[in-house]
Amino acid sequence: MSLLPAPLAPVRPAFLTRVTPVARLTAGMTWLVAAIVTLDPAVPTRLVVAAVVALVLWSGLPLRRIPGRLAPLGLAILSLTVFSILLSGSNADRSIAALVELGPIRITGPAVSAGLAIGIRVVVIGLTTLLVFGPSDPTRLADSLVQQWHAPDRFAYGTLAALRVAPILAGDWAVISAARRLRGIQPRGAVGRTRDLGDRLLVMLVSSIRRAERLALAMDARGFDSGIRRTHFRELRVGWRDLLTVAVALAVAAAALVLPR
Amino acid sequence: MSTLSPSRPSAGPSESTRWRTVDIVVVAALAVAFGVVFWFWDVYVWPWASFLSSPGEYAISGVWLLPAVVAPLVVRKPGAAIFAEMVAAIVSVLLGNQWGLDVLLSGFVQGAGAELIFAFVLYRNFSWLVAALAGAGAGLGEALHDLPVYYSSFDVPYQVGIVVLDVLSAVTIAGVGGWLLVRAIRQTGALQAFPANE
Repeated sequence: MSLLPAPLAPVRPAFLTRVTPVARLTAGMTWLVAAIVTLDPAVPTRLVVAAVVALVLWSGLPLRRIPGRLAPLGLAILSLTVFSILLSGSNADRSIAALVELGPIRITGPAVSAGLAIGIRVVVIGLTTLLVFGPSDPTRLADSLVQQWHAPDRFAYGTLAALRVAPILAGDWAVISAARRLRGIQPRGAVGRTRDLGDRLLVMLVSSIRRAERLALAMDARGFDSGIRRTHFRELRVGWRDLLTVAVALAVAAAALVLPR
Repeated sequence: MSTLSPSRPSAGPSESTRWRTVDIVVVAALAVAFGVVFWFWDVYVWPWASFLSSPGEYAISGVWLLPAVVAPLVVRKPGAAIFAEMVAAIVSVLLGNQWGLDVLLSGFVQGAGAELIFAFVLYRNFSWLVAALAGAGAGLGEALHDLPVYYSSFDVPYQVGIVVLDVLSAVTIAGVGGWLLVRAIRQTGALQAFPANE
């Protein structure tokens, strides 16, 4: 039984699956920055179009699963857009003509435009994230961080080891809940339920710590901390695809920012 | 448990600042557990809180900052706050939340905010007061990121409101709450391998 969503993985070889993770990360960051630095809704809209094209053509991801994966964005975008428009500073500025005036509520053009820009910004971030993390798994990300950005290898692979435990946590949760029911613990009311949730979280953290301690002992027994210089089992090669990906992403980000409306 | 790596020559940094395997894996495991909690929180709790009360939801934003306080209190090593907060952030992205790539930025500034406080006391003081201040540091980092990225169009009083709620929540939930959480974990005897157990 798993409460966690299944990871999104590519179903066919594609251009981006052959680009190293840190190149995709660099490329994605240029779009993130481009979407953040402006309150003009045209910029993030252009990036959304570019991201959809890249997802369809070059990501190799199963397109039918993407809407479900992006579902958490829905409510977040709605509330961020609505409140950005309602609580905008330019609504109070009497020199700007109001689009809507309803009693105490006054909404201006700049408020709507900025609110839309922030809402669409979240869509850009969601789609770009799929392009960065979708085409390969965490193991390749760790390899790439160590070999290309010289991240400390013990930290990268130690984290990878801990990551393997994530799916077990859902099972832990079920066992903890069952054990508490068996002991006849029945929380009542909102306070009781919150306390109960906290107690179960504590047990889950304690069991993760104990498991991690055993894991570290096993890793040290195999010489994880031997101090001998580590070689790489899977060698990553930086190629023309990496350079092309970063260059194109940068060009698209620049074009999205400077093109006239 | 304290002699997990006895064979390593002591040429590197001193034992109190060097990360042993057990330090790395336990912090990563804690961060993974928090990352899973974050994912649930991001997808099922935060959007509703935000939809019903924006910007009042910042009163519960301290939950995101727990790893930045809990991890340094457990292993007492330089870098624990940033490492834990970043790993928790990446795990919540891998599971799929609404902020995606952007949490790499927010995770870093939140961790750095707490890290500065622990560095200021030279990683020697881990009292509830230092934990509360570290929580505040992480909260300020969070506000520093969230205001320009998500709330830049909000009127000034609302932006100030976000900062105030954010820091209060960070101090109570992440700071004092994190300190109490580590004390509770220590009482179970699970931290025998760490200096926090003195």
